[in-house]
This record gives sequence, C-alpha cells and structure tokens, in this order.
Amino acid sequence: MFEMNGEVDVKMKKKKKIKKKDRLEGMKKEMDIVSVIHKTRRRESWREYGLTSSKAAEVLERDGPNELLPPKGTPEYVKFARQLAGGLQCLMWVAAVICFIAFGIEFSRGTLGCFDDLYLAITLITVVVVTGCFGYYQEFKSTNIIASFKNLVPQQALVIRDGQKNQINAMDLVVGDLVEIKGGDRVPADIRIIFAQGCKVDNSSLTGESEPQSKTPECTHENPLETKNIAFFSTTCLEGVATGTVINTGDRTIIGRIASLASGVGNEKTPIAIEIEHFVDIIAGLAIFFGFTFFVVAMFIGYAFLEAMIFFMAIVVAYVPEGLLATVTVCLSLTAKRLARKNCVVKNLEAVETLGSTSVICSDKTGTLTQNRMTVAHLWFDNVIHAADTTEDQSGQSFDQSSETWRSLARVAGLCNRAIFKPNQESLPIPRRIVVGDASETALLKFTELAIGNMMEYRERFKKVVEVPFNSTNKNTLMLSVHELEDPMDLRYLLVMKGAPERILERCSTILIKGQEMPLEEQWREAFQTAYMDLGSLGERVLGFCHIYLNENEFPRGYKFDSDEMNFTTSGLCFAGLISMIDPPRATVPDAVMKCRTAGIRVVMVTGDHPITARAIAANVGIITEGSETVEDIATRKRIPVEQVNRRDARACVISGGQLKDMSSEELDEALRSHPEMVFARTSPQPPSSPPLIIVESCQRLGSIVAVTGDGVNDSPALKKADIGIAMGIAGSDAAKNAADMILLDDNFASIVTGVEQGRLIFDNLKKSIAYTLTKNIPELTPYLIYITVSVPLPLGCITILMIELATDIFPSVSLAYEKAESDIMHLKPRNPRKDRLVNESLAAYSYFQIGAIQSFAGFTDYFTAMAQEGWYPLLCVGLRSHWENVHLQDLQDSYGQEWTYAQRLYQQYTCYTVFFISIEICQIADVLIRKTRRLSIFQQGFFRNKVLVSAIVFQLLLGNLLCYCPGMPNIFNFMPIRGQWWFVPIPYGILIFVYDEIRKLGVRRHPGSWWDQELYY
Amino acid sequence: MSTKEETPAADGDKPQTSSWKDSIYNPRTGEFIGRTAKSWALILLFYLVFYGFLAGMFTLTMWVMLQTLDDNIPTYRDRVASPGLVIRPRSLDIVFNRTDPKQYGQYVQHLENFLQQYNDTVQEKNELCMVGEYYEQDDQEEKKVCQFKRNLLRQCSGLSDTTFGYAEGKPCVLVKMNRIIGLKPRGDPYINCTAKRESPLQMQYFPSEGRFDKMYFPYYGKNLHSTYVQPLVAVKLLLTKEDYNNELTMECKIEGSDLRNSDDRDKFLGRVTFRVKVVE
Repeated sequence: MFEMNGEVDVKMKKKKKIKKKDRLEGMKKEMDIVSVIHKTRRRESWREYGLTSSKAAEVLERDGPNELLPPKGTPEYVKFARQLAGGLQCLMWVAAVICFIAFGIEFSRGTLGCFDDLYLAITLITVVVVTGCFGYYQEFKSTNIIASFKNLVPQQALVIRDGQKNQINAMDLVVGDLVEIKGGDRVPADIRIIFAQGCKVDNSSLTGESEPQSKTPECTHENPLETKNIAFFSTTCLEGVATGTVINTGDRTIIGRIASLASGVGNEKTPIAIEIEHFVDIIAGLAIFFGFTFFVVAMFIGYAFLEAMIFFMAIVVAYVPEGLLATVTVCLSLTAKRLARKNCVVKNLEAVETLGSTSVICSDKTGTLTQNRMTVAHLWFDNVIHAADTTEDQSGQSFDQSSETWRSLARVAGLCNRAIFKPNQESLPIPRRIVVGDASETALLKFTELAIGNMMEYRERFKKVVEVPFNSTNKNTLMLSVHELEDPMDLRYLLVMKGAPERILERCSTILIKGQEMPLEEQWREAFQTAYMDLGSLGERVLGFCHIYLNENEFPRGYKFDSDEMNFTTSGLCFAGLISMIDPPRATVPDAVMKCRTAGIRVVMVTGDHPITARAIAANVGIITEGSETVEDIATRKRIPVEQVNRRDARACVISGGQLKDMSSEELDEALRSHPEMVFARTSPQPPSSPPLIIVESCQRLGSIVAVTGDGVNDSPALKKADIGIAMGIAGSDAAKNAADMILLDDNFASIVTGVEQGRLIFDNLKKSIAYTLTKNIPELTPYLIYITVSVPLPLGCITILMIELATDIFPSVSLAYEKAESDIMHLKPRNPRKDRLVNESLAAYSYFQIGAIQSFAGFTDYFTAMAQEGWYPLLCVGLRSHWENVHLQDLQDSYGQEWTYAQRLYQQYTCYTVFFISIEICQIADVLIRKTRRLSIFQQGFFRNKVLVSAIVFQLLLGNLLCYCPGMPNIFNFMPIRGQWWFVPIPYGILIFVYDEIRKLGVRRHPGSWWDQELYY
Repeated sequence: MSTKEETPAADGDKPQTSSWKDSIYNPRTGEFIGRTAKSWALILLFYLVFYGFLAGMFTLTMWVMLQTLDDNIPTYRDRVASPGLVIRPRSLDIVFNRTDPKQYGQYVQHLENFLQQYNDTVQEKNELCMVGEYYEQDDQEEKKVCQFKRNLLRQCSGLSDTTFGYAEGKPCVLVKMNRIIGLKPRGDPYINCTAKRESPLQMQYFPSEGRFDKMYFPYYGKNLHSTYVQPLVAVKLLLTKEDYNNELTMECKIEGSDLRNSDDRDKFLGRVTFRVKVVE
C-alpha cells in the first residue's frame, strides 16, 4: 500500500516538474520575442522626445501600472475556514451535530436534562471556533509583520515625455518611455540602454552577484540577462548616467517573472505540520474506532439507538484532546516571540520547529556569511604580507605602520581614488559611512581614512591636476592621477597609479623597500609573483600601486596634462605595493558554522562569486574545514589527472554554475552525497535553471530538511521550495521576504543557529506537552467504558471533561514550553524526520496505557469512595445505571435503605464528576512534574527552576477550587462542593506516578539500548 | 545518508514482497503487527505485572476505604437531608375507566401488593408506640418497629373495598415519605393535597388529617431496622360525575413541619404532582 502511494507520488511530482519546465522555457522564448519587438519600436521614443503624454496614457491603460503585483493571497475567509476544518475539528463538528440531534429528539420527547446536550454542542462549537480564531489571529499577525516591511515611499523616475523631462511616479511608467537614470537611482523598469556614460549597475538583488556590471548601449549577448545594454527593474545604478527606453513594466519584467515563478513553486508542508497531521489522524482514527466499537457494544447490550449515539458522541468528546491544538499553537508562538527578540521573525509559526529539524542549510554568501562590503584584507610591501583588520567594528589587530613604504602606499591608495564620503556623516563610525564610488575604491577610501585620517582634507592638500579613470570599454585596467605636492616649495608633480598588479609591474622599474627606491631586480619580481599568487589564492581582489615624482623641468607648474593624449610619463614608475580586498566574513559566522557542524547540520554555500573567492570564504568561515581537499587538490598533490582521483576521497567540492548546468540530477545527488563540504560558485541567475532551486530539490531528494537563506529576487523560488526559507531583513528584497518563512532582521547567519536551538528545544518540549495532554484522555475515556459495560452511575460528565481540556490543563501544558533543554541539544544530530516522530508508539503507549491507566484507577478509587461514603457501596453501583437514571423512580434505595429522589441522585452524580475531576487534576500535577524530563531525574532538572510551570500548577489548583466551591457551579457546570478528604484520595496514585516515572528514567539512564529503554523511552 | 541504504533495499531487492500483509504478519522477520513473538511475550508480561500491581493497589485502597465505613449509618447524609414524596400506585398518570376492571386492575393489584407488609399478621409482631412522640432507641441493640396497621387507612385499606374506590370512581392514592436514616421531622407533619383547578376537590385523608405520626421516626437503616415500615397517608379523591373524563392535576405536599416542600430543582422533595383521569 505504501509502495503504491510512493509511486503515485513520484508520478505526480514528475508531472509537476515537466509542467514547470515547460512554463520556464516558454517564458524564455517570450522574453526573446519581447526584446525583438522592442528593437523595432525604438524609433518611437528616440530623439529625446519620448512618448507623447496621450500615447503614454494609452499604453498605461493597456498594460496597467508598473509595479509588482503581490502574489494572490488566499482569501481571508478561506484561511479562516481552513482553521475550522482540521482533522480534530471535523470530529468535533460531528460530535456537535450528534449533540444537536440528540437534543432535538429528547426535547421533542420532553425528557428532563436534555439541555445538557445543547450546552455541550454549543461548547464544542465554541471550542472549534475559538481555537480557529486564535490560529487565524496568529497567522494574521505574522502577515502583518511582513506587510510592514513593504516600502511605502513611492519610487520616482525621471522620464522624458513630449520632449520634456518630468519627475513622475515610477508606477506610471509605460513601455516605450524614455527614462534617465543616474548613480544612486533604482532602475524603475526593464530598460534598454541607448546612451550611457560610465554607468554601473548593481545586479545583486537580481542575481546575487556582488560585482557591479557596467552598462553600455551595445548589444553584447543574445541572452537578455548577459547583454550589457539592458538594465533590470529593481537593480541599483551605482554610478554614471544612462538613458534608455522602457521595454518591460510591472510583472512582465525579469524580476516580475522570477517573482511569479516563486509563487508557482509549491510550498512544502512543514515537518511539524506533517507530524501533527500524523498524530491527529491517529487520534481521530482511534476516537472513531473506540466510539464505533462501543456504539456497537451498546446496541448489542440493548441500549436504544439514540442512547448509543450519545455514547458515541461522549466517547469522541472524551477521547479527542480539544485543548491540544491551542497548546501547540501557543507553544509555537511563544518560541516565535522568543526568536523575534533574537532578530528572527517567523512568518509561519510551524517554521519555528522546522529550523530545529534542519539538516542542510544552503546559505547565500554575500551579506549572510559575509559583511557585504569590500574591505582591505592584506597588504604587501617591504616584501612582507601584512594582514589588515577586517572586523566589522575595527576591534582586530592592525599591522606595523612605521615603514616609510607604507606611507607612500597609503598616499597612492588615498589619492588615486575617486570615491568620496557622502557629506554630514562625521558622527558615524567610518566603516558605516556611506560612500559614493565602486566597491574597491570604497574599501580603499575607508581603509585610508582609518589609517591616515581625514582623506577629504588630505586630498585637498595634494591638489589633483588630471586623472585618467578606469575605462572598461577600452580595456584600460589602470587608473592614474597627477597631483601637486602638499609642500608648496616642492614644485614637482606626483603621478599615482593603481590597477591590475601585473600591468602595474610592467610599468615599473624600481620598487620601494623600507622607504628606499631599489631597482626592480629579478628577485623582487619573484617575490611579487609569490605574493600576488598567495593573495589571489585567498580569493581576494588584488590591486597594484605605484607612483613617480615627475621631473620638474620636463613638467613644470602649469603644464597642460591631457588625459586623452597621455602626454606624460607612464612607465619607469616606482612600485609601492599590493593591496588586496575581500568581502570579509562576519565575525560571528565561523563560530556559527562550527556550531552547525557539531549539531550535525551541513552548511552548503551558494554564491554568484568566483569559485576561488567562494572557496576562500568557505575555508575562512569553516564550511570547508582545514585539511579538506577537493578532487582538484588531490589531483595536484598526487600529480595525477583529475579523472583518476577517487571522488570519495575528497571531502570538499566546489561546483561552478557551468558544471551545475551540465549535471544530471542523479549526478548532483551523487555529488551531494559523497562530498560533505559543498560550495556552489558562479551560479547564474537564469530562471530556467535557477541553481539554488536545483540544489534544494536535490537535497530534499536525499531526505534532508533544507533551510535556504537568500536576499535576492532570484532566490525566491528556492526560498519557497525549501522546507524553511530564510530571508534577510536588511538586504532582502520584498520578493524574497514574501517567499520566506522566516526573516533575519540583522542578516546575521549566527541568528540561524539560535533558531535551530530554539527549534530543537520546542520539538522536545512539544513532545512533553503532547504527552501531558494525551495522558488525561484515558481517565476521561474509561468512565464511559465502565459506564456502558458495567452500568455504574456515570462517573464523569462531558462538560467536566471539557473543563479539564480547556480550562485547568491548558496552562500547565503550555508551561512545559518554558522547560530548559535536558542535554546539550546542539550536540545531537538533527532528528530523522522518518524515524524520530513527534508522537511515537512508546509515547502513546506510555501515556495511554501506563500513566493514563494509573490516573483512571485514581479516579475510580475516588469515585467509589465518594459513592460509598454517601451510602452507595461499590457492589451496589454495578448494574445500577438503569434505576439510577430512571426519572420516574423517586425512591431508589441505597445500601443503607435510604430512599433517594432523582434530583438527589443527580447531585450525587455531579459530586462524582467533581471527585473524578479532582483525581485527574491531582494526577495531572504529578504528570506535569514527570513530563519536565524524559531522561533526566527531576531532581537533576530542578523542581522549581521552571517558574512558569510552578505558577501553572498553582493556577490549576486555584481554578479547580473555584470550580468546586464557587456558588452556582452545580447548576452551570455540574460541579459540586466536595469534601476535603476526597482531594487526598488520589494522592497515593499521584505519588505512584511520580515514583514509577523516576524508576523508568533511572532504567533508561542506566541501561541505554536495553529493552526497558526501547519500550519506555519516548 | 540514511536514504542511501534504504533506497536500494526497498526498490532493488524485493520490490513486491513488502505489502500491507507484512504489517500484520511479516514472515521474514517473524513479526506479527510489528513485534516478534518474544517481543510480544515480554510486553504482555510487562503489562500483566503492571496492571496486576495497579489492580492490587486499587483493591487495597478500596478495602481500606470500606473498612472506614459504618455498617449502619452512612458516613454522610447531606445529599438526602430532606425526604422526597412518592405515591402508590407507582404512576404519575392514573387513567382508567371505572367500569372496566381490566383497566384499573393493575392499580388495585399494585396497591394490594404494596400493602402486604402492613397486614395485621405482620404488624401484630411490632410495638404499639406512644402516639405523638419520637420512638428513639439509640442505645438499644435491637431496634423495634412501630405498628402501622392497614386498617388505619379505612376505606383505602383495601379491606372493606377491595378495589380501593376505583370501581366507584373515587380512587385512593397512597402517599409515602422517603426513608431517611435519623430523620426526625419537627412540628406536626401532615399531607395536604390540592387539585389544580378553580373549585376545590373533596378529599378524604386517612389517617385523619393526613398526619404522619412522630412515633414512626427516626429510621435506623436497613441493617438494624429491617422490618421497618413507613407511615402512609391515603388520599381518597371524591370525584363526582362532572369530574369524569377530565384530567385532574393533583399536588400533594408535606406541611406543618420543617421538611422542605418547595425546592426549585427537585420537584419531588416534600411534594408530589400527579394526574388523575377517570373515564366513565
């Protein structure tokens, strides 16, 4: 049967996949067509005139506003209805309907006491609705958190219409509009560039690439994502200016398509939802089984059909844990609240636990593992590699700055730099200030600002005469500038130059060593090569720096430097040193990755960066551990071809986007299986092969529970597909946040580890909570079974059961969520979702057949005591039911010969309900104490450490007293003021529960793996 | 990693063998519903011991509890502080045709049976007690019973009129008070019946004025007072021709004492309501 299900499942999945692929390919074709169409349309808005306003209005009418439509949410009433239609809820609806029917029949017959059924029906419906409202409110609240992230400030765009430049709302842009963008702007739509000047665009929100892309009017590639003449909606223009025509708006933009792709990916059920469904099915099944069995038994014994139906209903009410769903929801939301304090906002409550069962984390590199800002990491001068301080708060060690060479190098780095701080940021620490300029210049500016001091003023002192910037179009990889010297007496000009190290070295003839200019001999060239290779292998971007004092006679003051002609010396310079930069890992990440490793969680890195950089960062943060080798490493070490290496010897593996594209899914599975340390680099964002999505699917095929972190729109399908998608709160795009289940407010990977810990804790505690809640179902059920079979007066009423389920026992079961972990849960492997169930066989057996049985005995002892002390001996009770419940029998004799009216018997019955209730309460106090731990002795865990639990017990007792002794209770909830000693009758059984469980735990601790452990550890 | 081992085992080796039948009996492992015979034996033994112990503990606590009980007086009598009223014949709807003995025969038979214990042959063994005084015998080992002879009920005794007036259309109803151990009603309790209609109904009470004499109290319980008989009050409804074929609602209350007769929840505490309809 399972096999068949499996097959069907696979088939379904395949179908789905084919569909998705078709859709994706269709999309790509469409895109190509769109770009062709727009080539022809270009004439319309060309020539600086733009569209006419009327034409624009017409197109706007046709295409709709230029905004991403939020994915169609489920209608609110459907969400609410879903809360009312779970497995348990359905069962309770059935019970309520039976109550109504019974009430209807009895009312028409005029039977006394038929209103009980009506009240019961109303209570049941209230329970379902209130629980539903609670769940709905939780969902609603988390949706609100997300809504608050949305940027409400409307975006502006500079558009040319009717030949005039206008600032309009980006929402009103239409296809064909001519727009201008400049550094700092967000690109307002998909735009084909027709004019650009030094325009660079940050595509990271789309592709995850941190490298800025330059945009020019030339079409360089047929793939719209690769070509240089298309800028995409929602990316940011870093510098330069550009003009272009709008080719796509709104949901038809690339980003819109990716976003809609995400909503197409089915949301996986969370593991906890599967667990809860699993055991709700069991409970519902058992309830119906019990109910039906006793229905048949009752019919067989000779009860009327209606009576048998009422028995069925009562058994359902007794057996279904009405308060359980509320308990689970409250426990999860408590943890969610706790996590929110630690900067993890949970959108979907169940995601809290998912994090705990996660076995693979696919993490984006940029911004999550790293700080997302280029920082100077190393310097090479005086033939030594110096390490710079890359910590976020500059708390690390700095290098020796006494050398004269350092001063020259810093001067070159500071002067040959176009980046500037935005004004009015003096109060901010330097690393946090906003800089206008590209990443590496920003890094150098901040570095020199930290090392030398106020760079703006410093540059004033060395007045710039001319500058030749990087120019990617003519492949000039160098940048140089000429400055006057700060000493007004020195009339020489200083030429400073930076660029690709080998190109810089070509132009040098000397090198600075300890402040002395030395001829650039072979020995220095070799030293340079070694340093360059070393830094390169760290995945860092290396720049070379050199300078020269121009000859005073040849270049006197007032000499006309021409940046185009280059009419000055550009060779025979003096080499100052190398500076290398990297986007450094966040300080907390290596530790967090280590914790993940001890917790048995694999961290897989997925990045758009170069494989070498990716690998270096992976090694840096511990994703690739020390001593791990890739296949290529082994090949180099053993000097054998890559093909001959046994792939299983390599722990680590770096797979680039290109390789990934060519791999079949089986190959990818195999790779993930055989290499524990995986890095995916240079993953291209092309939607048909969204790499994170493929990786996630592969991990899931291997049975892992996958968490994915991401911020870009391109990540959103993977976030959705993952068991738990984690979006970045600061850097994350709205699409990513929408697709995610959880949001890290501080973008910090370390917060995930906290989340994992909390998730595991809540799984443990939910187990305890559920065990506690399930236990009392047996002492609630047995009175009915005995009542039906042995025909004693009813020991426990339905309303009393509901009082236990919904009033007195809720608080203690929730308080178990505050229990501390029993052991170091972060040293255990993640649970195996197939084997470590939330509710397993031994938990159910222990709760139902052992603790529940003891509680039932306690209840019956107290029941028979109360009956006997009022005059009804136990043996008389047996078989008494039909007389006892005979409304016309007003003189039923008890064991002493006294005669009781029906009403007197009824109040006695309520007294029985109450003593049974009290027995369950007393036993449940013992139960909540034993549930604090599953393995440790309670004396090890501490009796009073969980303050909430202690107050819950006090609350439970107070509520019990209120129900018993509040005037009016007998006729409202069928509680009677009972005698003090009946509180003490169940205490021996409470002690028995406690002692028995201590013995159980002792056996479990002393003999792990034994029969006792297997049968009794849950 | 676990999937690696599981997948080939499930798909490769024996694809057909793992069916639902295995979940009941798996011949390869010898498992019956997920457990081997030995495992079943162990777990059943465990539960046998466990429930054996529980049953033992239950029996012990019940035994201890029963030891604390007095054989003659219930530990508490607060649930039955005040007695209920009951009528004989045991029916709250007395409907009959006075000309048809078959219809009233059941009532007559019932009354006759009920009054057997009040026969002179039985009652003559009992004491003649002081009228108007409680017959207290707390210190006596053997509790005696006061005589209540059937003939005290006169026309309703079934001695002179064996049909208890049913044949003549003037039926007798016996009102009885529930036995409560140790109950000593203060005052002078008597039964007062009223017909719920505008004009009063003629009635005769036996013994006269419908009194319960104090000598029949207190009651000492089934054990000590095994031959005890409750005092009775008979009400003879003197229906006339006009009353026939009409349903008549009667309410009898105990009055003249501290016994409660107007409880909201208990309609039978010190009172009883019944309907009578005589057809001609």
